[in-house]
Amino acid sequence: MEKSKKANSKRVIVTGVLWVITYTLSLLAIKKLSPGATTGVLISFLPVITFAVFIYSMIKEAAAMDEVQVRIHLEATVIAFSLGLLMLMTLGLLDLVVSLNKEDWGYRHLVTWFTMFYFTGLYISKRKYNAQ
Amino acid sequence: MKNTIKVERAKKNWTQETLAEKIGVSRQSVNSIETGKFIPSTVLALKMAEVFGTTVEIIFQLDELDR
Repeated sequence: MEKSKKANSKRVIVTGVLWVITYTLSLLAIKKLSPGATTGVLISFLPVITFAVFIYSMIKEAAAMDEVQVRIHLEATVIAFSLGLLMLMTLGLLDLVVSLNKEDWGYRHLVTWFTMFYFTGLYISKRKYNAQ
Repeated sequence: MKNTIKVERAKKNWTQETLAEKIGVSRQSVNSIETGKFIPSTVLALKMAEVFGTTVEIIFQLDELDR
């Protein structure tokens, strides 16, 4: 059982890294190579495949977690979701007042922010349950 | 909710790791339950009682805040 848990965790890390690499490569390819519209759209959807694999392995990992770990990840998700909504709401309102530079506040940046919010939530929740 | 997990562990001379292995959770989870940060499910409480060879009521008791 312990072996299978370790294998699951390893799979999550590997698929997560794979997704980040695919996303970064797609981003670089679109930015540097300036492909045509059709190729660009195809490249944009490449990270979707690796992301789906990553999420699938995350769900499998969650199924093997004990109840304290499930609670920790649930609370981390709630914190990340709330912070994400707060950021979108603030950016939405700000966008009406000042023109936000899309190079600083485009959709692409939300990926990093949402990931960061999740890890912030995870840190807070782990501290709450003394599970570090 | 207060608990006597630490006392029961001491009686058996078990570490948190040993208890965690016996009930199928992580060491960190045992620590969260033992320190009262997390209230376990009925199933997990029953599992604990079973491995300690006692009853759930002996391990977990309501405190004044729960009443």
